[in-house]
Amino acid sequence: MSEQTRRGRAVRWGVPIATVALVAGAIGAGPVIAAVQGDPVLPERTAAQLLADAVRATESGVKPMSGTVMQTASLGLPGLPEVAGMGGTSPAALLAGSHELKVWYGGEDRFRFALPGRMSETDLIVNGDQAWLWESETNKATRIKGAGQAGQDHDRAMPMATTPQQVADEALKRADAGTAVSVSNTEKVAGRPAYQLVLTPRDGSSLVKEVKLALDGETFVPLRVQVYAKSAAEPAFEIGFTSVTFTPPAPDNFTFTPPAGAKVEEKTLADLGSRPEGGQERAEALKGGLTTVGEGWTTVAVLPFSTQDLKGPAQRQGDRPGGQDAAVVTDALLKSARQVSGAWGSGKVIQTKLVSALLTDDGRLLVGAVTPEKLTEAAGRR
Amino acid sequence: MSTVSGQETVSIGTGAAPLPRARAVGALRAWLRLLGSEVGLTLRRPRNIAMLAVLALVPVLIGVALRTFGGPDETDGGPSVFGQVTGNGLFLTFAALSILVQLLLPVAVAVVAGDSVAGEAGLGTLRYLLAAPAGRTRLLGVKYANAVVFCLAAVAAVALSSLLAGVLLFPAGPITLLSGGTIPLLDGVLRIGVVVLYVTAGMAALAAVALAFSTMTEAAVGAIASTVGLVVVVQVLGVIPQLSVFQPYLLTHWWNGFDGVLRDPMATGEMGQGLLVFAAYIAVFGSIAWARFTGKDITC
Amino acid sequence: MLTVRERTPSATLPAEDCSIVTRGLTKRFRSGQVAVDALDLAVPRGSVFGFLGPNGSGKTTTIRMLLGLVAPTGGAWELLGTPMPGGTAAVLSRVGALVEGPAFYPYLSGEANLRRYDAADPAADPRTASARIGLALDRVGLAAAARKRYRAYSLGMRQRLAIAAALLGPRELLILDEPTNGLDPQGTREVRGLIKEIAAGGTTVFVSSHLLAEVEQMCSHIAVMRTGRLVAQGPIAGLRAGEAVRIRVETPDLAEAAAVLAASGLAQVRTGDGEVSAELGADAPERICAALVAGGVAVRGLAVQRPSLEDVFVGLTGEGFDVNG
Repeated sequence: MSEQTRRGRAVRWGVPIATVALVAGAIGAGPVIAAVQGDPVLPERTAAQLLADAVRATESGVKPMSGTVMQTASLGLPGLPEVAGMGGTSPAALLAGSHELKVWYGGEDRFRFALPGRMSETDLIVNGDQAWLWESETNKATRIKGAGQAGQDHDRAMPMATTPQQVADEALKRADAGTAVSVSNTEKVAGRPAYQLVLTPRDGSSLVKEVKLALDGETFVPLRVQVYAKSAAEPAFEIGFTSVTFTPPAPDNFTFTPPAGAKVEEKTLADLGSRPEGGQERAEALKGGLTTVGEGWTTVAVLPFSTQDLKGPAQRQGDRPGGQDAAVVTDALLKSARQVSGAWGSGKVIQTKLVSALLTDDGRLLVGAVTPEKLTEAAGRR
Repeated sequence: MSTVSGQETVSIGTGAAPLPRARAVGALRAWLRLLGSEVGLTLRRPRNIAMLAVLALVPVLIGVALRTFGGPDETDGGPSVFGQVTGNGLFLTFAALSILVQLLLPVAVAVVAGDSVAGEAGLGTLRYLLAAPAGRTRLLGVKYANAVVFCLAAVAAVALSSLLAGVLLFPAGPITLLSGGTIPLLDGVLRIGVVVLYVTAGMAALAAVALAFSTMTEAAVGAIASTVGLVVVVQVLGVIPQLSVFQPYLLTHWWNGFDGVLRDPMATGEMGQGLLVFAAYIAVFGSIAWARFTGKDITC
Repeated sequence: MLTVRERTPSATLPAEDCSIVTRGLTKRFRSGQVAVDALDLAVPRGSVFGFLGPNGSGKTTTIRMLLGLVAPTGGAWELLGTPMPGGTAAVLSRVGALVEGPAFYPYLSGEANLRRYDAADPAADPRTASARIGLALDRVGLAAAARKRYRAYSLGMRQRLAIAAALLGPRELLILDEPTNGLDPQGTREVRGLIKEIAAGGTTVFVSSHLLAEVEQMCSHIAVMRTGRLVAQGPIAGLRAGEAVRIRVETPDLAEAAAVLAASGLAQVRTGDGEVSAELGADAPERICAALVAGGVAVRGLAVQRPSLEDVFVGLTGEGFDVNG
């Protein structure tokens, strides 16, 4: 009889155990279902064919679509306060963690990006010659003038949070003799079968292990870009659609009227580009002193710089949203710097998963996606 | 099987077996009668009335404070939703719910749900309910349904008092969404209704956890304290950056994920995921509560 | 020592004539303690069944098992002819119970408390609830205090309310655990009267008690528990009959008296302080008296001792049985 009691208890507790298993199964169901369904099989294509298709697709214009883009960065910035002090919508926040970006794309000059934060949202709405930047946090609507080419230009101003298209273009540009290219036709991104282009640097001193670029199997729209660092199995940087539909989004998305009570400002693109006061001039000056060493994946940029330069603008930005964050990041980076010296001189090295920087005591900044050794080598080649 | 479970069959009379349909209707009616008794007991209890009153008072206090001292300056970097309250009274509901959902609402829910079984056991009334016979699965179902009703009552109390205070203290009118668009007042009230349901679902998930704890002890205070303690610990874990991978699995992470209703178009993605998480918690802890309660010796 | 223990009650009484039947019912707690050990109870329909035993002998655990509150670790049981625990929902509506004292919601009135328990019974008709609650309160004499909060009830009123809860519906079986606990002598008498009245209506009443006198006055059957084991069970008259009738002689001539009793063929001759006693058996007391006188014994007093239940229980439980309460 007590045997039966034991059996009864086993049956009863089997229910919650089964429930836990079911929930765990549901969490892991994505990969399982994908495995059951098998890999999507697309017609085989060589890298060249695929690139041609992609270029052709790009030339004929991207189809109207909408979707959600997830950007994940784990750049391994040392000592970065990942959550504290990082506003959800500030650009510096994109350096760490995961961020969601909603995209509605109606055509070349009709699109809307929304960067949702907790109880806040930043929107960029472009509709023909109308362009608005809406920041709910500050209840401020900014009308951007000269928005004819607003889209592309503005995107360049926000390098981290752009659509996969732009990031992919950049990656395609870099494909050259120093890169091994392979193609697979069994990827699945945002529920759609996709081709995946894998670009592997041939130079061993590059910190980049490989760059994976997923192109939609039907429209050849880039759906995902992943940058893998040599030091980690997970991508150091990833941007890709988590859901996407290739149907024209509702026209409401592209209209914007500043709400009652909101501050309305007008700015030109030039204004937006020169956010840090004097940045424009400084950028010009930097451009003048910029040289590069090496080429391809292991290009090292050399600029004249000093620690003071780095701190200065960051502090001046302090009163602007996001400026505080930039200062925090800068401080954290400088704190983690490691003193190095050699035949070339001495300086400080900052290393992340993807990028190394060397600040020499003689006032040069060397930056590249390479090992610190490569940087010191470049520093020696004056 | 010599266990005390298996009390699923419900008879509605001692006479000849009625038609299955009539039986089902009778069983449902009896179930609703017990639920009515349970809800009446919960809402008549002075302690619970006091908790609902406190919950309803907080939005009024927030409203009066904002009215008296003005909203936070933008440069403060405080939650913008507070600033918006002064512009539109309806936002008081969102502000109040996003604050209360962190601790005060969970505490109220933990008190009622944690007390539900343990309280009866401590009082000794549990043995008489079961000898009535209430049926263990049936009683547990009623207890949980009652906890959910209380969740709804608590969230609705906050929402209604915020609406009232917001409309009386601040201008009310078309609502500016986070995306910058504007919707009519009535539409805004409807969206508040969606938020109320979502937050209720989140609290219902916590109620399942509290109910499971409640079946494991005869001291209601123990079940309540464990639940509240767990909420606090999980809230703390949720803000440790190194543990951010676990965030999506934490119940508390999803409680204030209702800002999607303030976007244009309404972003249901996060709320949908939140509801799935809530459902998972309810299923897991509900079944634990069931397994524990149906096999438990009632010795007090 | 006599044994009236019936290991197989179903052999003497068909199970369908019983309101409660247990076979080998056992409860071993996780601590390893055996609270109830292979209990075979047979409670005849229509009986007033006294369930006796010292505190801690397993009475309450048995009642909890009967009501499905505690799962037995072994054995089987039936209530009103229905195997349990499968029939819990169908059977318990017809069973009224008082388990280990009253338990109610202190902030509710007596009436609201009864309504609460009535709502828990799926078989109870809500339309007749008020009438049934009123009747139950009336039967225990609480009609006047119906609207008072339970918190304000005295110990006796609380006990009465618990009995009222057991009487909420038409019951075929009442299981009452120590029903007169906390009652004054007047209340005890009333409850005893109530139980007799209910039993007269055909309801089986199963009463547990550690008070012998109480059981003796109202029960037709009894069972005796001792440290988790059943040591006796049967009709009260039968138990009395089991114990031998003794003859007791008061005399200064102890040795002579003992010799005469032994010579008369009586067993169990015992010599005490100023008296000698022996089992009378089938012998006529007057014959023994004549033999004593003839034997020259100075008989100062002679008594035939019919066994009291007390003797039976002290014999059965073998320990200080709380016979007087």
